[in-house]
Amino acid sequence: MLKVQGIETWYGAIQALKGVSLEVKQGEIVALLGANGAGKSTTIKTITGMLKPAKGTIEFQGQKITGRDVEDIAEAGIACVPEGRHIFPGLSVIDNLMLGATPRKNPSRADLDRDLERVFHLFPILQEFRDRLGWQLSGGQQQMLAIGRGLMSAAKLLLLDEPSLGLAPVLVQEVFKVIKEINKAGTTILLVEQNARMALLIANRGYVLETGKMSLTDTAANLLANEDMKAHYLGAHAHVKEARQRRLNERPSA
Amino acid sequence: MDLSTNFQMLTAGLAMGSIYALVALGFVLIFNAVGVVNFAQGEFVMVPAFVAVWLMDMLKIPFPLTYVITVIFMGVFGIVFQRIAYYPLRNRTFLPVIIATIGVSIFLKNAAQMVFGAEPFLMHRPTPPDVLNLAGVFIDPQYIVIIVCTLALLAFQYFFFEKTSLGKKMQATAQDKDMARLLGIRVATMIAITFAYSSILGAAAGILVGPIFYVTKEMGGMLGLKAFCSTIIGGFGSVPGAILGGIFLGVIEVFAAFYISSGYRDAFAFIMLILVLLFRPQGFFGEKIAEKA
Amino acid sequence: MNTRAAKPLILSLLVVAVLVFPLEVTSNYWLNLVNLSISFSIACLGLNIVLGYAGQLSLAQAAFWGVGAYTSALLTTRLGWPVWPCMLIAFIVAGLFGVCLGIPTLKLTGHYLAMTTIGFGIILQLILINAIWLTGGSDGITKIPSPWLGSLELKDPSTFFYVAAFSLLLLTWASIRLKDSRVGRAFLAVQGNEMAAETMGIDTTLYKIMAFALSAAYGGYGGALFAHSGSHYISPDTFSFDQSVVLLAMAVLGGNGSAIGAIVGATLLTLLPEVLRFLKDSYMMVYAAGIVAVMIFMPGGIAGLVKGLPFALRLRAWWNAGSAATQQVAVSVATRDGVGGRPIPAKVASGAGSNGTLLSVKDLAKHFGGLKAVDGVDMEVRRGEIQALIGPNGSGKTTILNMLSGLYVPTAGEISLEGTVITGRKPHIITAHGMARTFQNIRLFGELTVLNNVLIGQHCHSKAGLVPSVVQPPSQQGEETGMRKKALEMLEFVGLRGKEFAQANSLPYGQQRLLELARALASDPKILLLDEPAAGLNANETEVLIDLLFQIRDQGITILLVEHDMSLVMNVSDHITVLNFGKKIAEGAAEAIEKNQEVIDAYLGTEVGNA
Repeated sequence: MLKVQGIETWYGAIQALKGVSLEVKQGEIVALLGANGAGKSTTIKTITGMLKPAKGTIEFQGQKITGRDVEDIAEAGIACVPEGRHIFPGLSVIDNLMLGATPRKNPSRADLDRDLERVFHLFPILQEFRDRLGWQLSGGQQQMLAIGRGLMSAAKLLLLDEPSLGLAPVLVQEVFKVIKEINKAGTTILLVEQNARMALLIANRGYVLETGKMSLTDTAANLLANEDMKAHYLGAHAHVKEARQRRLNERPSA
Repeated sequence: MDLSTNFQMLTAGLAMGSIYALVALGFVLIFNAVGVVNFAQGEFVMVPAFVAVWLMDMLKIPFPLTYVITVIFMGVFGIVFQRIAYYPLRNRTFLPVIIATIGVSIFLKNAAQMVFGAEPFLMHRPTPPDVLNLAGVFIDPQYIVIIVCTLALLAFQYFFFEKTSLGKKMQATAQDKDMARLLGIRVATMIAITFAYSSILGAAAGILVGPIFYVTKEMGGMLGLKAFCSTIIGGFGSVPGAILGGIFLGVIEVFAAFYISSGYRDAFAFIMLILVLLFRPQGFFGEKIAEKA
Repeated sequence: MNTRAAKPLILSLLVVAVLVFPLEVTSNYWLNLVNLSISFSIACLGLNIVLGYAGQLSLAQAAFWGVGAYTSALLTTRLGWPVWPCMLIAFIVAGLFGVCLGIPTLKLTGHYLAMTTIGFGIILQLILINAIWLTGGSDGITKIPSPWLGSLELKDPSTFFYVAAFSLLLLTWASIRLKDSRVGRAFLAVQGNEMAAETMGIDTTLYKIMAFALSAAYGGYGGALFAHSGSHYISPDTFSFDQSVVLLAMAVLGGNGSAIGAIVGATLLTLLPEVLRFLKDSYMMVYAAGIVAVMIFMPGGIAGLVKGLPFALRLRAWWNAGSAATQQVAVSVATRDGVGGRPIPAKVASGAGSNGTLLSVKDLAKHFGGLKAVDGVDMEVRRGEIQALIGPNGSGKTTILNMLSGLYVPTAGEISLEGTVITGRKPHIITAHGMARTFQNIRLFGELTVLNNVLIGQHCHSKAGLVPSVVQPPSQQGEETGMRKKALEMLEFVGLRGKEFAQANSLPYGQQRLLELARALASDPKILLLDEPAAGLNANETEVLIDLLFQIRDQGITILLVEHDMSLVMNVSDHITVLNFGKKIAEGAAEAIEKNQEVIDAYLGTEVGNA
């Protein structure tokens, strides 16, 4: 469904992505992992069109979307729940949700109501708070609202950027449960997460980014079992260990 | 002082305050949408005042039709303004933008002078010139018209922003532009509409206040600055803050000019501004909503 | 010809030009205009200091111009005092008014600052109009006397011209000298990046007030010149907000930050109406459209345009190469891969051999409303070690750095550096105590040269105040030479020698990081706080950084770094502290940390609930 090839994106003077390629097939949950600063959010922003890549292509359902406007990409069927939730603080829960349906082309009242019901079924607390304003919700509730809003777009591909960030562990559990349910109901998902283990528990496959490049990809099960994963996060690669030993041999200790 | 004098002043203050509120609203809407402080906002009042005078006095068009044409003209003016003045500066730092909008303000003032000459004009009053006598209180009927029209306009605005889907999209754009784009909201269109609406608010202010003051090229200058003070007093970036700040300032000004000093009338807005910035910089209706998690 | 000889030559030429000018231009009309444009030029020079140097927008300059004019006019007409001292008093009085404006605006920026200065200016004008007992109100003040030189009354525009022109020369000389001095650099730093300036040891409060005071004083003197020349009459109408806008337009047209530019801008916009008289009514419209066009197409003004021309670049290069400072510093030992070479001047003495705690943090907490970003952290950094502070996103690392360097005031807890408690003190004081830092998003003074960036780093250990910075007596010059020498040594150390005069933001990213390091080292720190020093660096650059860090440590400087690049951390650290959710969860040597289950869980995430 989504094919990203050789993306190079720059943030001002820094090259954040140095040739990133990944693929998401229909019906999958794909996890995009990596340490802080590895380029996960930059990849998402490039896919949604918020950042334009200097090189590389992105194809969605066979159509090239590289370099197109953000609004067009949204209308093509890609919805994004960005990092930090970004719900509209001055608008009510119901307003936020209904705005999520903006990219749809002429949805019927019945369709919208049905989808709204579905969101309320997944997140009952939103129904209870339907008239509260965005800023009045807690972090966890805002996250649920953001996901619900993403669902209202009836998008084929849902991009989730760090949904667990800043949430208490119990809520994280709930959110991931919902993500799994959404996927079962037919939405393809690309999930960016710092909490690699949680993400891999629900994903089909995973990619690991390290300083702007893909360094590892495999099925979720294999990645979970892979001892080497630690190295990618904790800098314990063999070559790093060698360098340290070399230095210790060269210099007197402090 | 007796009650009726105070009440007269209150009415005058509310009327002036309504005008400040309209102009302040115009400021805040543009700022929330594009992050720019438009130092030419006062001229958004002056230009329609001149247009209305021209239509009524030169072309002898009856005033209801004049008002309609003026409003439509300002709507278009706003969109053109956005294209010519704001758009080329949208990525610049705030200093060039401030100077450029001041430059536009000077340009508009002198264009008005070139077209209409330096003599002040008197705009036709839609209301009778005689002061009403309500139980011993003398009130200029135009003040009542101003207050009522402003309330009506605010009611319309409330309805538009809170109850229509377009209004919600505009609010969304003002609150989080990037997120709005991710939802497929055409942000460029929303911005154009914001400028158009902001200019229409100016048109309303110009039409309402024109009959009371002389219509001159300078009428917008101090008005714009004081309206900007109201937004800061009320809480910069807040729509209710702009409205309440404007009304508050209008009332305070009238009473202060009477009880303290009329020579320093213009100073009170700025004195209040400096006091607010020193002691409560977020204004009275602070940026609570704008604080993101 | 070297630059040493050039300066007196230029000065002599200017003096001759001034003496000769009224002999060539004899029309009183034009001389009056020239005098007026000089008066405006001086006001614009003032604006150039507060806006061009210090970056504080002031839309009240016409009011200060008016304060100066009225002060001098009132003292001479009402009290009959001689003109010369009154003009000086006008300078001082206006300066005091400038302090009055500086104080309430300290925390304001952008349009808040603009509006406050506008308000201040309007209030001043209203006082001029309404305080009739003092100022005569709207009638103004007439028959303002001319200055006397011995027995000669300088009444004609041609004779007054000498007063005006020499004043202009003097004040311009002062402005130019100021820019390239310790105080001038402090102004530029405040403009460039206020937060970085504070952490470099600059008391931004003091310098902002100083900038306002100076600019108002200049404005006041310009106003005094105005009062004692031309029609010898002043009234409040002249000193309006519109006039402040004109002065601002002049300064910006000339080019922000350029003293000569300010003069060019003021002269152009004073003389232009004469030249464009044929435009009549539409002159103002053309003028306004011109302002907008300049903002859109030439935001650097005329000076900005000229600076980019080839001849200007060559001139600048020649000037820099010949400048006294560069010539006096010996070229150092050749470097290896551009790294290393001359060691940092010994700061080791106090710490040599003595181990023990340099920085001690007890129970540190920072709450933002309900969010506990840092929740009771204890830490110790031992003298001479490299310690890393790590943790996943949102664990509180940068918050702790910000509290250590004084940018945040802790909610609770205590921080002491070498026994001195520094909790909650202002950044520039903490820097003076020996703590320097770099930033995650590089906070260089981008528009300034590489050399100036490093010189600013030395601010807290140098002394020259306002007057020495302008007058530049031998003691100040000696200090400057010493500072430059040290700056060049720093640049040598990080491998940036030869790039002294490049603009900081023209350097490639990796070198900008090195420059930030050099700048921090220039403040002679006991401890260096580094916030993600390797962010954005490629593998080679990271290697260079690691080598530098070891060399810095070898010089006796303690390092505390926050970093995400785990390979760097594992390579470099003697001691690692790990945070998660605002609390310390582990500490120890690298080998221990990478095996610590809690740390692994923090980074890779935990399986919450069941699979």
